[in-house]
Amino acid sequence: MRSDFFASSKGSAQKIFDPRTKLLMVVTISTVVMADSGGGWMSVLCWILTFVPLALFLIERKWKAALIYFCVYWGATLMQLYLLPLTTGVVNFLLVAMSFFSVRFMPGIAMASYLVNTTTVSEFMGAMERMRVPQSLSIPLSVVFRFFPTVSEEYTAIGDAMRMRGIRFGGRKPAKMIEYRLVPLLVSCVKIGDELSAAALTRGLGAPIRRTNVCEIGIKPQDVFTMAVCAAMILLFIFEKI
Amino acid sequence: MKNERMNAKDLMTVGLFTAIIFILSMAAGMLGFIPILIPFLTVIVPLLCGIPFMLFLTKTKKFGMITIMGTLCGFLLGIMGMGVYWVTATGIIAGFCADLIFRSGNYASAKKGVLSHAVFSQWAFGSMIPIVVTRDAYFAKLINGGYGEEYANALMRYVPDWSLIPILVAGFIAGIVGALIGKAVLKKHFVRAGIA
Amino acid sequence: MIKLTNVSFTYTGGREDAGVRNINLTIRPGEVVLVCGESGCGKTTLTRMVNGLIPHFYEGELTGTIYVGAKDVAKSELYDLARTVGSVFQNPRSQFFNVDTTSELAFGCENLGIAEDEILTRVRKTVADLSISHLLDRSIFELSDGEKQKIACGSVSVLGPDIYVLDEPTSNLDFETIAALRRVLSFWKATGKTILVAEHRLHFMKGIADRVIFMREGEIRETHEGAEFFALPPRYFEERGLRIPSLDRLPAAETAEADLPSDPIRIEKMRVSLRGEPILNIPALEIPSGGIIAVIGANGAGKTTFARSLCGLVSGDRSVVTFRGRALNAKKRLSVCYLVMQDVNHQLFTESVLDEVLLSMSVEDETRADETLLSLDLSAFREDHPMALSGGQKQRVAIASALVSEREILVFDEPTSGLDLVHMRETARNIAALKRNGVTSFVVTHDPEFILACCTHVIRIEAGEISGNYPLDSSGVKNLTAFFRHDESMAERT
Repeated sequence: MRSDFFASSKGSAQKIFDPRTKLLMVVTISTVVMADSGGGWMSVLCWILTFVPLALFLIERKWKAALIYFCVYWGATLMQLYLLPLTTGVVNFLLVAMSFFSVRFMPGIAMASYLVNTTTVSEFMGAMERMRVPQSLSIPLSVVFRFFPTVSEEYTAIGDAMRMRGIRFGGRKPAKMIEYRLVPLLVSCVKIGDELSAAALTRGLGAPIRRTNVCEIGIKPQDVFTMAVCAAMILLFIFEKI
Repeated sequence: MKNERMNAKDLMTVGLFTAIIFILSMAAGMLGFIPILIPFLTVIVPLLCGIPFMLFLTKTKKFGMITIMGTLCGFLLGIMGMGVYWVTATGIIAGFCADLIFRSGNYASAKKGVLSHAVFSQWAFGSMIPIVVTRDAYFAKLINGGYGEEYANALMRYVPDWSLIPILVAGFIAGIVGALIGKAVLKKHFVRAGIA
Repeated sequence: MIKLTNVSFTYTGGREDAGVRNINLTIRPGEVVLVCGESGCGKTTLTRMVNGLIPHFYEGELTGTIYVGAKDVAKSELYDLARTVGSVFQNPRSQFFNVDTTSELAFGCENLGIAEDEILTRVRKTVADLSISHLLDRSIFELSDGEKQKIACGSVSVLGPDIYVLDEPTSNLDFETIAALRRVLSFWKATGKTILVAEHRLHFMKGIADRVIFMREGEIRETHEGAEFFALPPRYFEERGLRIPSLDRLPAAETAEADLPSDPIRIEKMRVSLRGEPILNIPALEIPSGGIIAVIGANGAGKTTFARSLCGLVSGDRSVVTFRGRALNAKKRLSVCYLVMQDVNHQLFTESVLDEVLLSMSVEDETRADETLLSLDLSAFREDHPMALSGGQKQRVAIASALVSEREILVFDEPTSGLDLVHMRETARNIAALKRNGVTSFVVTHDPEFILACCTHVIRIEAGEISGNYPLDSSGVKNLTAFFRHDESMAERT
C-alpha cells in the first residue's frame, strides 16, 4: 500500500468524475475486459477500454502509475505475440500464466487504483450516502479507507525498528518474523482504532439520521456521458453472451 | 447482549479489522505476481489472517459483524479488479455463514471460532472463479487471435475444470490451522498485553 | 452546567487506567476547570464521564448520576451529547476520521445532518476565529502534530457545543502551539463556554483556569481557586508530583558543568528531502560525545527526521557521522545507533522481557541479559509481556535491548510526552544512567523541566537547519529558558 493511498491534497485530484462514475467504470472494465472472448468488434472495444486507465492516470499526472500500467499491460501483450511461440516447457508455462493474469486483470486493477487514489474518504462517504448505502456498510467501509494509510505508517515504523535490531527475513527464525511484525502492528492498530472510534463517536458519528456532506460531488455532464457508455458496454456484453 | 443491534463502535471495530485483514491478504497477494503461487494464496492468506481474525472475534458479540466484514472484503477485492460480483457474493456468503457459526457458540466458543474462521477464509474464493469461468472465453480469444493451439492447450492444462475443488478444501484446512495459530498468538501476546 | 453526584466507576477487566470513586462535582456555566494529578489518578476517567465515552464506549460499572446541561449522560446517546459536549484528545494522530482538513472540520456537523451551506458558513467562521485558515484543504498526512491539534480544536468548535472537554491536549505539542491552544481556550472562555481540561502541564492554564482540582487514587482531594493555585509555593507541586505551574519557575540545572571528553561527534552533509522539498539540511555540525544532548525546536522543524537520519533509517541518506575516530555512513549507523521511538510499542516484538533482550544479542547469553535487566531495574519483570508494562518500563526494555547489542549512541524521540513529574524523572534517571556507561544520548523533546533534569548539551533545529548548539552550562541554561519563554511570549503576541 502506498502512502499516498487515499490522501488528498490541493490539486492532486482534479475531481473530473463523481465517485459513483469511477465505481461504475471499475465494474465495467473488470467485467468486460476480463470476459473478452476475442474476435469481432467487441474485441476492438475491449482494446480501446484498456487505454482508459492509462489516459486517466496521465490526466491526473500520476506518471508513475501510468508507466507501470503501460509497461505491464503492453509488455504482456507483446510477450504473448512474440515470445510465447518461441518457448516450450516450464518457461512456456510461466509465461502463459503471467501474460494471462497481466492481460486479464491489469486494466481492472489499474482502474481500481485510479478510483482509490483520486477519491477522499469524505467524498466516498458522500457518494455512498447518495446511493442510499446503509450506515452499517458505509461506516466500516470509510474506516477501512481511513485505515489504509495508518496501517502503512505503522508498518513502516515497525520495519524501522526491525532494521535497527538487525531482524530481517531470512534470518534466524523465519516463522518468528511474521509474528514480530504482526503482533506490534495489531497492538498499535487496535490502540489507534480505539482512539479513533472514541474521537469520531464524540463528534456524532452514528446518529440515526441522514448525514450531510460538504464535498463537491455530483453528477456532471461528463459523468452522465461516461455512465451511459459504461451501461452500453455492459448491455452489449450481456447481449453477446446470449 | 447478543440480540442488541450493532452500534457505531461495533461498526468501527469491523472497519478496523477489515482493513487489517484486507491489507494482509493483499500483502500476501503480492506473491501472486509469481503466477505459479496463485493457487497457494488460498493457503497462505488464511494462515496469516487467522491472527487478526481471532483477535477480532474477542470483540465480536453481535450478529452481523462478521457478515459485514466478509461483504466488505469481497467488495474491496472486487473493485480491485477481481470480478466484482463473484467475489462480493462469496464474501457475503462466507461472512454470513461464519457469523451463524460463531453465534451458535454464543460468541464465546473457541471451537466455533476456529470453524468460523475456516468458513470465513473462503471469502476470496470468488476471485478464483473468473479464472476458470473466463478461461473458455480466453481460450477462444487465443485461437481467434492466432496465438496457436499449443499455447491455448497449455493454458487449459494448467487450469483444469476441477481445480476449484482442491482450492476450496485447501483453503478450509488452512483456515483451521490459521485459526489455531491465531488462538495461540492471542494467548501468548494479546491477552497478556491487555488488548484482547 | 455539569453535575456529578456520588459517581464511581471501575473499568471492566481492570484496565490500566484507573477508575474513580465518590466524585461530587458541580461546574457552573462559563467556568474553566483544570484537573491535575499523577498518571492514573482518574482525571482522564473524569473527562470521559462528561463526554459520555463512559459508559457508552468504555465498559465498566458506573454508579451515581452525571448531568451535562439537561441531559443524563448514562441515558443519552453519544450523538446527542455531541451537540452539547466537544472533546479534544491527547494524540493528534488518532483523532482524525478524514484524510483532509476541510472534511474533518465539517465532519461533526455532517454527522448531525446540518445543512451544507450552514456547515460551510460555520467552518469559515471557525477558521477565522481560531486563525487556522491556512490549514484548510490540506492532507492530514502533511501536517505537524501541532497543526493537527489545532484542526482537532477547530473541528469541535465548528459544532458550537456549550461544553469543551480536553484530555491532555498538550502532550505532543511545542511551546508555540501550546500558546496557540491557550489562545483558543481564552476565545472559548470569552464566548461563555464551559471548559474542563485534564493535564500534566499546568503553566499554560495560568490566568485561564477559574478552578483547579487535584485528584489522587480516583478521588478529588483538593479544590483551589485558579489564582490561588498558581501562587502556591514550589514545595506544594513537588509533594504532589505535579509539573511546574509557570515557566518562570524552571528549576536551576542540577547537572554540573559538562566534563566531557574532547573528541566530538561530527555530522556532515545531513540532507533529507520529502517529495522534493528539503526538510533537513545540516552541512556540518560538531557535538561533544558522551553527553546527553537535547534536540529542541518547533513541531515540524525536522527533529524526528534528524533522529531517524542519525540512526541510519532514512533511505538514500548520504550523511556521514564521525564518532570516536570512525566515519559512519547511514548503513553502519544502523548498528551503532539506536532509536527509542515515541511509541515504544513499535519496537517490542517478543513475549517476555528476557526474550526481548536475548533477541538483540548476536549470541544469546542469558547471564549477561540478566545483568543488564538488573542494572535497569527490570529483573522483576523478566517473564512479563513487554506490552503489558508501563510506559517507563517499556522504555527501559528498549534501552536494555540497545545496551546488549552494544550501541554507543541512543536517540530518544519525545520520551516524556504526557508524563507526570514522577515518570518524567524516572525517564531522566534512565537516560542519566546511560551517560555513566559511556553512551551518548540524543533526546528530541519539548520538555524544559526534563532537559534541565538531565541534559548536558542543546542543539536547536529550526525549519530543518541548526539554529543553536551550546553546552548546558550556566549560560546555556539562560539560553534555554530564554528559548522556551521567548517562544511562549512570541506566540502570545502574534
